[in-house]
Amino acid sequence: MAKVKVASVWLEGCSGCHMSFLDIDAAIIDLANAVEFTRTPITDIKEFPQVDVGIVEGSVGNTEEEEVLKDLRAHCKILMAWGDCACFGGVCAMRSTFDKEEVLRRGYIETESTFKGKIPGPPGVPALLDQVKPVNNIVKVDCYVPGCPPEASAILYGLQELLAGRIPVLPSDMMRFD
Amino acid sequence: MKEVTLTINGKQVKGKEGDTVLEVCQANNIDVPTLCHSKGLTDVGACRMCIVDIERERRPVPACTYPARDGLIVQTQNEKLEKHRRLVLELMFTERNHLCAQCVASGDCELQQLGYRYQMDNTRYPYAWPALPVDSQHEYLVIDPNRCILCGRCIRTCDQIVGVHTLDFGYRGWKDVVVADLNQPLGKSTCISCGACFQACPTGAIFSKKSAYKGKRPDCKEITTTCPICGIGCDVKAFVKGNMLIRIDSPDPSQHDGLLCHMGRFGPLSQEHPRVKTPMIRNSRGKLEPCTMNEAIDTAAKKLGQFKAHNGGNSIAGIASGQASSQTLKAFKELITETFGSKFLDSLDGDQYRAVIKGIGAFQDKADLSTEAPLEDIFNADCILLAGADPFQSHPVAGSYIVRAVRQNKAKLIVLDPTQNVLSDYTELWLKPKKDKEAAVLNSLAKSIASGTKVKSTAESGVNQKELIKAAQIIGKAKQIIVVYGEGILQQRNAGLISALYKLAAVSASSKGGKPVVISLKSKGNSRGAWDMGIANNSVSVINNLAQNGIKALYLLLADDYIEAKELSALPKGLDFLVVQTCYLSPLAQKADVVLPSPTWTEADGKYTLLDGTPISVSRIVKPPDGIKSDWDTINEIAKRFK
Repeated sequence: MAKVKVASVWLEGCSGCHMSFLDIDAAIIDLANAVEFTRTPITDIKEFPQVDVGIVEGSVGNTEEEEVLKDLRAHCKILMAWGDCACFGGVCAMRSTFDKEEVLRRGYIETESTFKGKIPGPPGVPALLDQVKPVNNIVKVDCYVPGCPPEASAILYGLQELLAGRIPVLPSDMMRFD
Repeated sequence: MKEVTLTINGKQVKGKEGDTVLEVCQANNIDVPTLCHSKGLTDVGACRMCIVDIERERRPVPACTYPARDGLIVQTQNEKLEKHRRLVLELMFTERNHLCAQCVASGDCELQQLGYRYQMDNTRYPYAWPALPVDSQHEYLVIDPNRCILCGRCIRTCDQIVGVHTLDFGYRGWKDVVVADLNQPLGKSTCISCGACFQACPTGAIFSKKSAYKGKRPDCKEITTTCPICGIGCDVKAFVKGNMLIRIDSPDPSQHDGLLCHMGRFGPLSQEHPRVKTPMIRNSRGKLEPCTMNEAIDTAAKKLGQFKAHNGGNSIAGIASGQASSQTLKAFKELITETFGSKFLDSLDGDQYRAVIKGIGAFQDKADLSTEAPLEDIFNADCILLAGADPFQSHPVAGSYIVRAVRQNKAKLIVLDPTQNVLSDYTELWLKPKKDKEAAVLNSLAKSIASGTKVKSTAESGVNQKELIKAAQIIGKAKQIIVVYGEGILQQRNAGLISALYKLAAVSASSKGGKPVVISLKSKGNSRGAWDMGIANNSVSVINNLAQNGIKALYLLLADDYIEAKELSALPKGLDFLVVQTCYLSPLAQKADVVLPSPTWTEADGKYTLLDGTPISVSRIVKPPDGIKSDWDTINEIAKRFK
């Protein structure tokens, strides 16, 4: 049987979901037999091929993240969101109630340890969006594995359900928002 | 009450007429999710989680506000209802910031639990997030409206259970928030800091600075016991993780006695005064120096033994705080009277006891406290005379009882106080006699009610004729009057005044064939225990007559009572030797020759006697710091040195 092609990205987040994915331990061996990883933060491949499953960790807070997400959506049949940032906005969304300029000023100029600070911007770094958004505010998402980070068992459950041909919905006792 | 029969989910169940559909469901173990419902509060149907289908209703209705009737056919669970509930949850999650990873209540939150239950793994709506200001100025509590779902449980608790109704909704629409008074910071409002709103909050919108980020209730060991601080004896449920106390709740806030105050709820979590962590002895250079427990006990026993041998047992006096537990007081009494053979034993509030007993003795044959009423009697009264008390300061739960009796039972409150009326919002009449003229006012009222003649005011009393007549009318009309007096009366140490209070209660009661109902809000939690035990049986104050009685050495048992130095400023003068047994490094402790450490009430088992004489047992919540023994152990150790 042909292997299921998977691509993953981490957007605005801490990479904790991918770390939690690696916590599935020995199960990764069986998974590797069934799945081919293409572009992921771990494989360091730069382009998305056409894949079966796209996985997104992290929320969308700047123009680059928005572009990468749309690119992934265009290249995958099923998009799965990992973690609170992707599902709800998570810790990154803390800045959403503040004005963007205020956040940048505080971060790059007014921090106590900063001397002669300068706010970076395009073209050097991508511009911030006004608000940090969960991925389903930008593109269609097919399934979600929330948690900060999701338990390894929840991530594995999500992948196994997909491999079995079902769209996963976490059972209540696997649900975590923190 | 009439029984009604309903069909819920195809099953016939019974309920009482007057119950809501939700109450019938809960009584029959039928699971219906709720958020804004809380036992003991009126239901408002705010959250819509408990929606059910009822035959012949066009749309789902909230079970919590729908009266149960005979023949209702109810569905609590179907696909449509579950879909609606999830939608409602999604709307709640998106209106304000309910991202759990940012919230103090995560892991201990009813909204989060429902999110899990309904497998809400995403939300379909953009966030509204109106960025509302957080109020964190209060000493213990923070209100973060960004986590609020506007269920109103805090508001209804503050209104219906606590009685003060400080909290209410302010603003409208998406800016609707919980405000204190007319939008004051909570710390500057009429809030009595009882923390009931914190316990009522299903999310992280109201949280305690004393408990935040220490741990979650589900991870804790629960210990249910009674708070002995003021003598009312409220039940508490303590949550302990390892040996750390993280939170104190009321075991059942829906009950009359389910109230707590800031002293019970937050006191044990606050370190307001520096602790005595080790025993200390004054060294040859005159400085207090830490030592072992054995050294401290040896020194105390040796020195006290010398005074006993050379100057006789009566050169030693023992004074105890009514905050100590009954076992401790018993051991102390034995040590002072039997081991040392001294007759000078007293409590810090001994003078108050002597005045009360003398006052009661002047009024009835048996001069004891057995006629004092339980606090619940406030709810049976339609007239309350509050004399010389600031209940929200000294006994906040009693304050709540009084305010609730006024607001909910329409009881009339008369305040008798020359200087202040802290319950002015609830007062029918404030009698403001001149200083020391309270007894005169009470006596003229009693006389008028007894004889049925018109009350006469005397110019020097400071209360005018009109007010007195009004008071006489209110008391005369009342079916049940209750007299509550507090420290303002007790501190006058005036037997005549106590007697006048009893007389008025008795005159009013006997005209209706009842007994006088009197409650005294004593200054210490175990005052009654100390008094009943005979700690204060001396005829005059020991504290004020140290020199006259030739007392050389004093053993002061404070336990977890913090005594301001000014309260006992004259104490150490003229003494050759002072032992202080205390929790706190107060200025008083710093004058001692030997300091013996006490545990706090949360750190030792103890028996106490409540205001009305009810004995209670308090169990230990946490272990005391290393090396600190229970107070009675320490006292018994000293006694052992004399055997």
